[in-house]
Amino acid sequence: MKKRYIQIIRTVIAWLIAVIWLLPFVGILMTSIRPMSEILDGWWNFKEFHLTPDNFMGAWNHPTASLKNGMKNSFIVAIPSTVLPLFIATMAGYGFSRYRFPVKKTTFFIIILTLTLPQQMIAVPIFQIMNSLGLVDKYLGLILVHTAWGIPWITFFMRNFFSTIPSNVEEAARIDGASDFTIFFRIILPLALPGIASAAALQFTWVWSDFFLALILIYSPDKLLATQRVPLMRGVYHVDWGLLAAASVLVMLVPLLVYAVLQKQYVKGMVGWSLK
Amino acid sequence: MLKKGLMILAIVLMAMVGLAVTLTVIGPWAGPEQEAFMPVLKAFEEETGIEVEYKVYRAEDLANLLPAQFAARRAPGDVIFMWASFIREYGKKGHIMDVSSVIDPDWYLAGALDPVQVGNRLYGAAYTAKVKPGFWYRKSLFKKYGLKPPKTWDEFLALLRTLRAVGFKTPIASGDGVGWPLSDVTEHFLITFGSPGLQKDLIEKKISWQSNTVRYAMEKLVSLLKEGYFSEPTEWTTILQQWWRGDYALYFMGSWITGMVDDPSDLGVFSLPGAKGMVFGADYAFIPKYTKHPEEAKKLLAFLVSEKGQSLQVAQGGHIATNKYVKLSAYPPVDAEVAKLMEGVELLPDLDDSIGGAFQMAFWDQLKLLWVRPERLDTVLKVLDEKLK
Amino acid sequence: MRRAKLSHYAFFILPALLLLAAFVVYPSLRTIYLSFVDEEGKFTLAGYKEVFTSRDTFDPEGFKRGFPMGTLIHNLLWIGIHLPLSVFLGLLLAVLLKGLPGVSFIKSVIFLGMVMPMIVGGVMIRFMFDGNVGVVNMFLKFLGLHTQTWTAYPETALLSLIFGSVWLWTGFSMVLYSAGLETIPKEFYEAAAIDGASRFRMFFNITIPLLKPITVVVVTMTLLWELKVFDIVYVATMGGPGGASNVLALQMYSYAFREFNFNKSAVVAVFITVSTLAASIPMMRLSTRE
Repeated sequence: MKKRYIQIIRTVIAWLIAVIWLLPFVGILMTSIRPMSEILDGWWNFKEFHLTPDNFMGAWNHPTASLKNGMKNSFIVAIPSTVLPLFIATMAGYGFSRYRFPVKKTTFFIIILTLTLPQQMIAVPIFQIMNSLGLVDKYLGLILVHTAWGIPWITFFMRNFFSTIPSNVEEAARIDGASDFTIFFRIILPLALPGIASAAALQFTWVWSDFFLALILIYSPDKLLATQRVPLMRGVYHVDWGLLAAASVLVMLVPLLVYAVLQKQYVKGMVGWSLK
Repeated sequence: MLKKGLMILAIVLMAMVGLAVTLTVIGPWAGPEQEAFMPVLKAFEEETGIEVEYKVYRAEDLANLLPAQFAARRAPGDVIFMWASFIREYGKKGHIMDVSSVIDPDWYLAGALDPVQVGNRLYGAAYTAKVKPGFWYRKSLFKKYGLKPPKTWDEFLALLRTLRAVGFKTPIASGDGVGWPLSDVTEHFLITFGSPGLQKDLIEKKISWQSNTVRYAMEKLVSLLKEGYFSEPTEWTTILQQWWRGDYALYFMGSWITGMVDDPSDLGVFSLPGAKGMVFGADYAFIPKYTKHPEEAKKLLAFLVSEKGQSLQVAQGGHIATNKYVKLSAYPPVDAEVAKLMEGVELLPDLDDSIGGAFQMAFWDQLKLLWVRPERLDTVLKVLDEKLK
Repeated sequence: MRRAKLSHYAFFILPALLLLAAFVVYPSLRTIYLSFVDEEGKFTLAGYKEVFTSRDTFDPEGFKRGFPMGTLIHNLLWIGIHLPLSVFLGLLLAVLLKGLPGVSFIKSVIFLGMVMPMIVGGVMIRFMFDGNVGVVNMFLKFLGLHTQTWTAYPETALLSLIFGSVWLWTGFSMVLYSAGLETIPKEFYEAAAIDGASRFRMFFNITIPLLKPITVVVVTMTLLWELKVFDIVYVATMGGPGGASNVLALQMYSYAFREFNFNKSAVVAVFITVSTLAASIPMMRLSTRE
């Protein structure tokens, strides 16, 4: 009886916390779907309540910072910036988990070191390198940096993943005369798919959410990514919470969808890349 | 025969390529401000057949982007509106086209082109201007309480007291969200209680921010801040709406406010009593050296700043022409009151726009601090001197 | 594990290493180099001296007067407040939510802050603490307390961002701890219950010790994030007012891309990196153990 009682209290507290946690989201959502005049004194006033698509239309077709283009651009950057490092780092993770080779420990140590680096550490030289390669303000430049930046953690993550796959399948295949490459592409990759999905969900969200690298490397008005356009929603002569709120909702929608669809993999990735 | 045909084809093709030129103009105006600018571009398209694409970009952000772009010998647009200080600096560094061949300085108000002139080279052109005349109020509100614009500082203080007495806890709205609304008010105090000369000396870094002249003027402002007459800084368009609906009585703003309210004829404005100068901020445009269509870009720039171009713009309200040949009849009636205030005062460049760079950022940021913690004036002035180095 | 032919492991590992060398390792080394040279490329310690004596980094007057106290202190405050709050809150939530109905929905709600871009998180924090439209002021008004735009005042700007970021980040520690709790065998608790241990004792004697590896990871990752925090500050306050909410990463950005002083910006970058490396030593020990 007492146990049941506690259970109920716990449930109530938990839902209360969830509601409090949700309030800021409700606020931004309310602001995005209602006209500014109604929310001047706070979105929780419901004396008047009208729905309007204006804020979303405004953000979507914004003259400076149209999110239509911004989201398109973000996809153009985020998709290759997810596929490339995944491919490259999955191979590297496999290499580290299955082979012995000279200076392996040192190399792996360097990879772990780079895992902790702040992006600020590479910012200025990256700008200089990309400038000398003519890749400033080009997506290729940004994709390369994202790829390189994603490699350490995916390598680490996939190495841990591969060490949970027993190697006897590979040994059997090897005895049958399969080469290392065939084994990797035919046998290992399919087995690694769950791990790859986790890594992909995270890498994609992170690249989509990136602001700092884009801020440094991309600056043509029509090339700006979605995250860069959010602060731009405040024009010199026009600041509008409604627009800003609608833009925020739109920009977070994509990672939110990824999370909703790949929730299990997402959380596994979050847990797995930091825990063994 | 075939040869001739090919040649004609080639000429036609070239002509088509020539016709297909699209120029990119980058300016700061979004929303209603942008709509007021479009007719000017449209007139140019009709006159020349050259297509123009408009992109909005804040000067604050351009300040970030352009140096890097220039370093890579690129430019995001063909005609770009930007701070005069920036145009001057990057003109000297060789990234900006000399336009003295298409712009005649004699056509413009005295001193209007000075900020973009270096020797006999002209790195930009002056488009229309905004003035920052003083505190705006609703005539209907003043009428309701029987109030009049003040003629002396004491009357101004009395006005603030009266307003508080009738229920305006904080009579003056303070705009924020971007840096300039607070610096505009501050400059108005510096000009009124210092002098127009002080504004120029500060721009040319001839006088320290910790000097007595600056301190005297700033303390006038600080005394009002300490009294709590100014509201807390709030996103400036949000507070504009709140001011208009009657949460506040006064709002210091530039002349563009006339284009942002429902009923401009209800607007009144007064300068601080004794102000002998007024900030006159022309919008400057330049052509980057890296444009792909230099001739067309020059044509566009010349058109924008011509009598015809500027007349079209001022007709939309909120803008004052820099071109001397724009007729008074070109203005809507609301702007007449502003023009009246301009008579007999010295026209001055904007302080932080003229200095620009890291100082401008620091200036804005420090003013936000001063607004909520006026007792920290000493530190604020000290930091400003440090950032000027 | 097999000792392999060069051609084999090179095929697997080299592409990753090359990209890493070109776009991460070399730029990092170059930043170290830049921190020691002036514009002409001559060796100098001026950058270090300037940065560490600058009011931007450390402002002793701030202790008497209030914020700003300099980015160094601001980041330390971020760590001092945000780290214990978000880690402990995460643990508490993980324990509270274990085995409750509707738990996956509640968890998702709390985890939302981690899913969205931090730049949006910054907008939301700014919005929460706004004087007119902010939800924080809704509560204060309801309780009859003073309301204001909390990010506009030097005393509260940084604290608003810090508390706002607890809201964003708690989901991280909660999810990790939840996963950790699943790995603790039920028998441990059953055995303790037979011995008559209270829930409280079980929590401190079983749960916390067994979650230690997770705590190491959560604390390290949170520390790293606190040292690197940038997006939130950039969009919510730009480090203002008067530098009262400035942080190291934004200071580095301003030096590099507003003042174009690469020497000073490199010094700040090196400092952040040294701090992150120091912070991650415990986790590195954990993860390099084979």
